[in-house]
Amino acid sequence: MVNLTIDDKQVTAPKNATIYDAAKLNGIKIPILCHDSKLKPFGACRMCLVEVEQMKGRQIPACTTPITEGMIIRTATPDIIKARKMVLELLLLNHPIDCPVCDKAGDCDLQNLTYEYEVNANRFADAKFNHVIDYNNPLIERDMNRCVLCGKCARICDEIVSFGALTFMDRGIETKIACEFEAPLNCEFCGSCVSVCPVGSLLARPFKFKARFWALTNQKTVCSYCGTGCNLTLGVKDNKVLTTVYDENQGFHKGQLCCRGRFGYQFINSERRLTTPLVRKNGTLVETTWDEAIEVIAAKMKTAGASTAALATPRITNEELILFKELMETVGSNNYDHSAGYAHAALTKGFVQSLGVAASPASILDVQKTDLLLVIKTDTYETHPVVGFEINMAVKNKEVKLNILSDKRGKLSKLPNAKTLIHVPGTEIAVINALAKVIVDEKLADGTAASVPGFAELEKALAAFTPDAVAAQCGLTAADIKQLATDYAKAEKALILFPVGLPYPGHNEDLASALANLAILTGKLGKEGCGVLCMAEKNNSQGAVDMGFYSTAGMDAGKIIDGCASGSVKTLFIAGENPVVSYPDHTKIAAALDKVDFLVVADLFMTETAAMADVVLPACSFAEKEGTFTSVDRRVQHIKPAIRKIGQCRSDFEIFGALITKLGGKPSATPAKTFEAISSSVAGYAGMSYASLGETGAYAAVSVKPSFVVPKTMSLASESGKLALVTGSALYHSGTMSQYGEGPMYVCPEGYVELSRNDASKMKIAENDLVIVTSSKGSIKLKAKISMRMPQGVLFAPYHFSETSINRICSGAPVTWVSLSK
Amino acid sequence: MIPHQDYKTEADRHDAMEQILRQHRHSPDALIEVLHFAQENYGYLPRELLGRLAEQLKLPPSLVYGVASFYHGFRLEPRGRHHCTVCTGTSCHIKGGTALLAELERRFGISCGETAPDGSFSLDSVRCLGVCDLAPLAVLDDDIISAETIDALADKVCQCLAEKSSTGKSP
Repeated sequence: MVNLTIDDKQVTAPKNATIYDAAKLNGIKIPILCHDSKLKPFGACRMCLVEVEQMKGRQIPACTTPITEGMIIRTATPDIIKARKMVLELLLLNHPIDCPVCDKAGDCDLQNLTYEYEVNANRFADAKFNHVIDYNNPLIERDMNRCVLCGKCARICDEIVSFGALTFMDRGIETKIACEFEAPLNCEFCGSCVSVCPVGSLLARPFKFKARFWALTNQKTVCSYCGTGCNLTLGVKDNKVLTTVYDENQGFHKGQLCCRGRFGYQFINSERRLTTPLVRKNGTLVETTWDEAIEVIAAKMKTAGASTAALATPRITNEELILFKELMETVGSNNYDHSAGYAHAALTKGFVQSLGVAASPASILDVQKTDLLLVIKTDTYETHPVVGFEINMAVKNKEVKLNILSDKRGKLSKLPNAKTLIHVPGTEIAVINALAKVIVDEKLADGTAASVPGFAELEKALAAFTPDAVAAQCGLTAADIKQLATDYAKAEKALILFPVGLPYPGHNEDLASALANLAILTGKLGKEGCGVLCMAEKNNSQGAVDMGFYSTAGMDAGKIIDGCASGSVKTLFIAGENPVVSYPDHTKIAAALDKVDFLVVADLFMTETAAMADVVLPACSFAEKEGTFTSVDRRVQHIKPAIRKIGQCRSDFEIFGALITKLGGKPSATPAKTFEAISSSVAGYAGMSYASLGETGAYAAVSVKPSFVVPKTMSLASESGKLALVTGSALYHSGTMSQYGEGPMYVCPEGYVELSRNDASKMKIAENDLVIVTSSKGSIKLKAKISMRMPQGVLFAPYHFSETSINRICSGAPVTWVSLSK
Repeated sequence: MIPHQDYKTEADRHDAMEQILRQHRHSPDALIEVLHFAQENYGYLPRELLGRLAEQLKLPPSLVYGVASFYHGFRLEPRGRHHCTVCTGTSCHIKGGTALLAELERRFGISCGETAPDGSFSLDSVRCLGVCDLAPLAVLDDDIISAETIDALADKVCQCLAEKSSTGKSP
């Protein structure tokens, strides 16, 4: 710590702090426009000028000057105030000063400082800027006439998002922020630039003319898209969520959000929300009362008894999942599951066998603390973009080595010194086994590895996975495999990341065990910056696993669907899932749900699944209820209602509670009561309560009991003349819910199939051509997207879209062999 | 840097670019050197080339364009077949450099920084060429042209240009 004096106050601050940091840390406010705690100091705006006794006669920028022992700093001398006033006069010289019509008014740093420093006249005169305003982009409006050239947008896009869409163009008085060749924005649309803009130059277009900033009530909550568990502030007015509000102090990610988190909130107040319960009468769904709906459902569940089944989305809260389980127990059934069963197998089977716990022995914070990252599939960036930002920062700022094992290139491959090994789709487990083999053979294993149960069996099983043998079948070289294994084993700290979820059927228990083997072999477990992070798809995927909402004794999701078709499941209750679109093998799912005697769906929207139901219940979104979500790294976070319930909607908690009561049970009265039960029964949650979770949440401890498991590899019979189709997540979407968010739909409105340039030119396919993709299951028409990242012979398609659901041709195999025609 | 060569075809130019990129190991730090070479090679910095360089140097295209637009030495539009630079530095200004520029603008019907519509000629100015003893002066392609009066100098420029055009000599 360094001792210094700021404005006659004795203070201390850490050694690497700047004057600005030291002042802020000690509650002294220095005005600034170009600073954000996440960004590197830049010194563009000159508002933070201070005087330092030891550097007499000069005005020093506080944001770029490091502190030294004994520094005496004055932040508000008459000279300094005069200088700041002049800075403001110069900034306002070319600025249009159109505050009455500017959406930023009230939240504008320039406006607030002008007011604070009473800059009511300007001694200078010059022409105003006359830049063309970009009104065309649906998400980000750019008015460079208001720009103060702080560079925050360009810096955040480069330093954190690592995209570099915006930069300074030209020089001198002509300098402006623009894209290359002054082209329209064509970026990730995460809106980071909008969030940090201190003036009204970059605005969220969906929020334009919706409300003045000061009319909003800010409600802190947790994002309900992916499993990262980002903290979110919703801007609410008249019971409507109108925007997301940036808060640089919020969460581990310091307010950073992705496209869906920042621009995908519109589903909450969507016109398309269900608002009344519906019941099917004479073949059509008609409005009914809650009493009737509950009565009908309770009666059906009672008669079905043990042949009742339940599927839930891992988007609902932990408390709701517990109550849903209780409901199933009340009717005497243990047939419940989520995420098609296979999407949680990495945790519930893989990690349980390998690590003795259904949770990841690592946290997102480890990404920046490690020395080497091994990322399985570049999709990690697309499924969890804010974790992607952490990876960007780790690689760019902390010089963390990035190794990617993937079936295609991606955003992550573009990072400095990133090594991407492209393997034949579906061979990842074989490659990982080969890595383990190298580690064992080259004596790179940790000393303790041999004493871990299962070592001998693993060693024996690995015999077939020599680098040469594996290289031949997976399209890598043996040298690459050896190098990767050596790099991983020799790194002092190394972290493995892999996404799981509905579009990744190959990311199953075997992949999880194979990866766990690597970590156990090299002793990279249970230490800071080490471990394996299984990145589950949905906001509460880890919670659903922790709450035990998956089949242990009863039918799993696959069997439930089969049971619907065969008649062994009489009543099926689906809460929030949309299997018709999101589960593989559309035809089979649709036929099964059509066949089942009685189908209840509780959802926000009339999804394709809800449209088939006998009773449809309008459920609440995350913004209307209380409960907890658990992120992929087991951070348990508390959410509170941000708005009142819409229409007659009820939370799933109330719905399950009402049904339990109707069936003669005694449900817990409030989510808080249920959470008390959770904290006393779920391992790792002990001692937690809503009060102790607070705004930041708490980590549920993960204790690991490692053992080696021999992972099964997939047998891949490639079909000659066909292309390998792999599914995945698009950057702008998460599950099928983001289809109801305006932002994601503006940027990525429909399904597509991505193919390599070589394949495209061979088949004479041009960008945006409609192509027919045919598998043994059927065929669909999709727009073609030609990209550099796809290897020849491999196709990629995202799975989120109802109308062009890729699950019409995929059956749940890791690779689908398809042919392409125009 | 590889010494300047008279590249004949697009393929030659492309190969030369590949070579310079290899020489700099595709390092993003070499951006300015690579841009200098590209300009020498192509005469200016074409859009597609900047995009390609960004990809090869693993830099965002916006940054490459930002750097190219920052330095006045980089041209984003092609120059004319013959190019005239008028010095408007202090000495030349006193001796009428600015008036010379205006006179040439008048004679060729283009303003400073522009290229004639037929692509035959382009004109720009520079702050100082460091040969103040010859002020006022203009540089046509690689030849320094100086004279006592503005009119005489403008005549000389026109005459030289006519000669160059008639012999069909490229700079």
